[in-house]
Amino acid sequence: MTIIPFPAREPRRYGGPVVTEAMAFEDEQDDAVRSLAARLVAGEEAALEEVYDRWSALVHTYALRALRDSHDAEDVTQQVFVAAWRSRHTLTPSPSALPAWLVGIARHKIADARAARAREADRLAAVVSLPGARDDTVRAADEEIAERLVVRQAVEDLPDPRRTIVFLAFWEERSHAEIAEKVGLPLGTVKSHVRRGLMKLHQQLEGVRHESR
Amino acid sequence: MSHVDPEQLAGLALDPDDAPVDVREHAATCPECAGLVAAFTGVRRRAGAEELVAPPAALRAQVLAEVRSGGSEAVPEPVRSESTPRRGVPLWLAGVAAALALLAGVGIGRLAADPAESPEAVEQPSGTVVAATPLTALDSDAERGEASAVQTDDTFTIRVNASELGDEPGVHEVWLINVDGKRMISIGLLAPGDKGEFAVPMDLIDEGYRIVDISAEPDDGDPTHSGVSIARGELA
Repeated sequence: MTIIPFPAREPRRYGGPVVTEAMAFEDEQDDAVRSLAARLVAGEEAALEEVYDRWSALVHTYALRALRDSHDAEDVTQQVFVAAWRSRHTLTPSPSALPAWLVGIARHKIADARAARAREADRLAAVVSLPGARDDTVRAADEEIAERLVVRQAVEDLPDPRRTIVFLAFWEERSHAEIAEKVGLPLGTVKSHVRRGLMKLHQQLEGVRHESR
Repeated sequence: MSHVDPEQLAGLALDPDDAPVDVREHAATCPECAGLVAAFTGVRRRAGAEELVAPPAALRAQVLAEVRSGGSEAVPEPVRSESTPRRGVPLWLAGVAAALALLAGVGIGRLAADPAESPEAVEQPSGTVVAATPLTALDSDAERGEASAVQTDDTFTIRVNASELGDEPGVHEVWLINVDGKRMISIGLLAPGDKGEFAVPMDLIDEGYRIVDISAEPDDGDPTHSGVSIARGELA
């Protein structure tokens, strides 16, 4: 029997007068992610398939944007999920731990892919070795890419109508009044959805920042 | 002054003109709330990424094939306490001891463990070790000391003697995690030196709370587990 994970810290509870259905849905989602992580840690192959189905687009897009090469991006994606499976016992389940962990692994694999390219380039004497400052810039750029993609994924994971409302507000830059008209909900409800949506995105992003380091 | 509801702060981050005056005034003077507003603004700024691009469908099969062919040899198993020859007593005996204690009507007392006591004094307590485990890091097999369950008369104590816990800021908190993976309970804080004794109700062990976990807890007032586990072992 292996050492098993523990039920991790509850997601930060934001106050508020109304417990909406959306929040209950989010709680259910959090629980589902947590139990998926626990199954993965326990070595259930079906859990890996679910993890792949849910987060391979995030990992793949991250690698694609960072490396700008579809072949390398596919390689990295494969490496990330194989590495995730092999080191699954290091995962501590919590709602944001799974994507955070995958993003953390992806960050390393992307850096490895870059290093391999640099070695290749050295062999060809095509470039001189890159100064350290450049590495830091690259790393910071990678993190910015990852964070933007995590936010994107977090929006996709929101339950409707919140997902649609947040999308209209942040991606299409619609005003609250426009959104209210479009989705047929009162202005106050729309505002509340946008605010709570933003809080959820923040929570996911913080989780990734905290846990993928 | 109490803080502003985060939802109000989210509103402030989205549209300062739309926020009530008292919210704006508070956020202007409270570093914590201002920090949250800034964080929300940062998240808002990160919205707008293009749609995620799924990898080619064939990649899924490749990943699964590699996982299946790779076998499990690449998976380092966590250290098992039963494979380590030590003074550990089998689980059934712990169960028996627990049952006996229950029959006797256990009182929940705290073994006198003066935090100012010298480490030597902690190492020579009376009592019977009914279960023990080495503690290891979670991401490697690195040794992190040991924990044992000790019965003294009608008191049941978890004795922790940890080491090499690293320099995560905060205090070291000791938890018992249930083997069902769904429940956990804090049993106290480790004193400097990372040794401690914690009296617990004996039936906890019987209920499956056998995994000793040490976490690094920041001083954030949050009583739940920080998620940062620095040592773990299962009593057996």
